[in-house]
Amino acid sequence: MTKRHTRLFFIGGTLLFALVFLALTVDSHRQFDTLTNADRITPDVAAGKDVWHRKNCINCHTLLGEGAYYAPDLTKITQQRGEAYLRAFLQNPSQFYSEQVHRRLMPNPNLAEDEITQVIAFLDWVSNIDNQGWPPRPILVSGGSLRGAEAVSQPGAAASNEPIALGEALFRQTPPGCFACHSTAAGVALAGPSLAGIAARAAARVDSASYTGAARDAEGYIRESIEQPHAYLVPGTMYSAGGRSFMPDNYRETLTQDQIAQLVAYLMTLQ
Amino acid sequence: MRYRTQWIAYPYFVVAMLLFGLQMVFGLLAVAKYLGPDPLLNVLPFDKVKAIHTNLLVVWVLTGFMGATYYVVPEESRTEIYSERLAYWQLGIWTLNGVVIIVGYLFGWTAGNKLLEQPWPLKLVIVAVMLMFLYNILMTIRKAGRWTTTEGVLVAGLALAAILYLPALLVFHNYTVSIFYRWWTIHLWVEGVWEMIQAGLLAYLLVRLSGVAGELKKKWLYVIVGLVFIAGILGTAHHYYWVGVPQYWLPIGGIFSALEPLALLGMAMFAYYAMRRSGLAHPNTLALHWTIGSTIFTAFGAGLLGLAHTWPAVNKWTHGTLITSMHGHSAFFGAYVMINLAIISFAMPQLSGRSEAKREGTLGYWAFWLMMAGMFGMTLAFATAGIAQTYLERVMGLGYLETQLKIQPHFLMLTVTGILFTSGVALFLWDFFRMVPLRAPAHVRESLPEPVTAP
Repeated sequence: MTKRHTRLFFIGGTLLFALVFLALTVDSHRQFDTLTNADRITPDVAAGKDVWHRKNCINCHTLLGEGAYYAPDLTKITQQRGEAYLRAFLQNPSQFYSEQVHRRLMPNPNLAEDEITQVIAFLDWVSNIDNQGWPPRPILVSGGSLRGAEAVSQPGAAASNEPIALGEALFRQTPPGCFACHSTAAGVALAGPSLAGIAARAAARVDSASYTGAARDAEGYIRESIEQPHAYLVPGTMYSAGGRSFMPDNYRETLTQDQIAQLVAYLMTLQ
Repeated sequence: MRYRTQWIAYPYFVVAMLLFGLQMVFGLLAVAKYLGPDPLLNVLPFDKVKAIHTNLLVVWVLTGFMGATYYVVPEESRTEIYSERLAYWQLGIWTLNGVVIIVGYLFGWTAGNKLLEQPWPLKLVIVAVMLMFLYNILMTIRKAGRWTTTEGVLVAGLALAAILYLPALLVFHNYTVSIFYRWWTIHLWVEGVWEMIQAGLLAYLLVRLSGVAGELKKKWLYVIVGLVFIAGILGTAHHYYWVGVPQYWLPIGGIFSALEPLALLGMAMFAYYAMRRSGLAHPNTLALHWTIGSTIFTAFGAGLLGLAHTWPAVNKWTHGTLITSMHGHSAFFGAYVMINLAIISFAMPQLSGRSEAKREGTLGYWAFWLMMAGMFGMTLAFATAGIAQTYLERVMGLGYLETQLKIQPHFLMLTVTGILFTSGVALFLWDFFRMVPLRAPAHVRESLPEPVTAP
C-alpha cells in the first residue's frame, strides 16, 4: 500500500459513509413527525420546550436519558405523576423532598403559573414519543426501599384471568402507573400514601367522623379514591393542596369500569 | 523553535492552562454537590456548575488545539504565520467571548442545550473567531506554497470542526429533531474531527520525538483517519438510541460504534512502532510520556470503555446513568487533554529557550503520574457508581433518589481521586508557569540544536 492508496481509502471511505448517513437522515425526516406525534406539538408544548432550555433543566435532569445525571430522568414523569402534583412540586420543590434525607434538592425554578403549564405540556408530549420502549422498566423518582417494594417484580402479564390477578398486573403497568406513587409495603410512603393494609384502613375510615366522602364501605371507599380523588383528602401537605388531591382525577375516563373493578378487587386483598 | 511566529502558541497555551485550572475548581464543586447537602443550592446550583465545568473543557481544549496549530504550521510549511496581529486579536476575542459565556451562565444566560449552552449571539462570535483562525492558517500555507500530510490532517480537522459547529446554530421546533442535529456537532466533533486533530498532532510529535523520517508513517495516518470516519460517521447512531428516531439506527449504532475502537487502537500501534524504531532517544521524555500515554489512555477510555456500553442491548439499561460519565471523563482526558499536554510539554522548553535535556527536576513527572492515577481512579469511581446505579435503579426498580444515597461511597471515592487529579493539574500548571518564555528569537535559535529530522 502506498500513500496514494491509503489517501484514497480515507477520502473514499469517508465520502461513502457520509452519503449513507445523509440518506438515512433524509429517511428519518420522513418518519420524525409520526414517531414524535408532531401534530401534538401545541403552542404550549413549544413554549414548554423553551422553558426547559431557559431554566437549564438538562444540566441536572435527563430527558430521553440525555442530560446530566444529578437528578431523576423525566421522560415518563407525566405518566407517573398527575398534573396537580407536578404543579405543586414545581411551585415549591422543597416541600416534597428533604435535603437532609436525600442529600440533594431541586432549587426553586421560580416559574410563573403559565410556564409551569407549558413545561408540563412539553413533558407530557415527550412521554408519548415512540422511543423503542425505553426505559425497559419504569425509572422511579423515589421508590422507598427494596423491602416489599412491588416495583421489583417485572410488570406485565397477569398470573391468571381472575379479577384480583388482573388488578395486580394493572397496578404495576404504566399507565395507569399506580405503583409509581403508592407502595404496598407498610411505612413506605412515596409520592402518595402507602396502600399496605388499605382494605382495613378504608373500612375504619368510612366510619370515622373526619370522612367527607360518600362511600359506605371499604370497597366503595377505594373505588371513590380512584374515580374522585378529591372527595376525601388524606391528611398531609405532600398529598393535596387547596382542597384538591395531587392524584390524577381522570381515571374514570382513562380506565374502563372493568379495570377499576379489578384494581378495587386487588386492593381489597391488602388487609 | 525555528520560526519567530511559533511564539504565538505561548499566549494560547497560557489561556488554555488558566481555563484548565478553573475547570478543576468547578469539577470539585460538582462532586461536593454529589456528596451533599449543598450550602450553595440557591446561589450556584449543580446545573450551572456542570455547564461551566464542561464548557471550560471544550474552550480550553480548542484553545490548546489552536495554539498547537500556530506552533506546528510554521515548521511544517517552513514559513512565518501570515498575520501575527490577527492571531492575537483572535485570541483576545475568543477569550473575551469565553469569559462572557461563563459569567453569563452564572447569571442564568443559557441556551440550555447540553454542551451547546452558549447563547445564540455568542455562538456567532465563536464561528467568526474560527473563520479568523482558519483564514490565518490557510493564508500561511498558501504563502508558503507547501504543506505536509501532518498539517493537512490537523488543519482539515480544525476546518471540519468549524463547519460542524454550524448545525448548533439551528433552532428546531421538535425536541427529537433538535437532539438529532445536536449530535452532528458533539459526536462528529469528539468521535470524528477532533480525533483527526489528535492524529495530526500525534504524527507531528512522533516525527519530532522519534526522529523517524516521515513518509513511511504518514500513509498510516490516512488509514487511521479513514477508520475514524468510516466507523465514526455512522457511529453517531449510538446517540440515537431511545430518543424517538427510526428503529434502524439501533443496529447501525451497535455495529459501527463497535468498529470505532479500531482507529484508536491503530493510533496506539502507530505510536508504539514509531517508538520501537527510534529507540526512544529524544531527551524530552516528559513529552514522550504524554504522547504515548495519550494513545494508550485513548484506547482505554474512548475505545474500550465506549465499547462497554455502546451495544443497544446493554445501553438500554445503562442509558442515562453514571456509566456515561465514566466514559466521558476517561475519553476526553485520554484523547484531548493528554494530547494538548503532550504538545505543551514538547513546545515549552523550546519556547522558553532551554534544552529539553535540562528540564529541571521531576515536577513534570509527578504531574503526569498524579493525573494518570487520579483519572484512572475517577474512571473506576464513576464505573462502580454507574454499575450499582444500573443494577439498583434500572434492574431492581429502586427509586432514583434512594439509589443515589446507596452509591454515596463511590462519590467519596470520586472526591478523593478528583483531588488527586487536581493536585496533578496544579503541579502541571506550576511547572508550566515557572518556565519564563523568551521572546528573543535570535537567542532561541542559537541556543537550540536543530530538530532531529527535517519535516
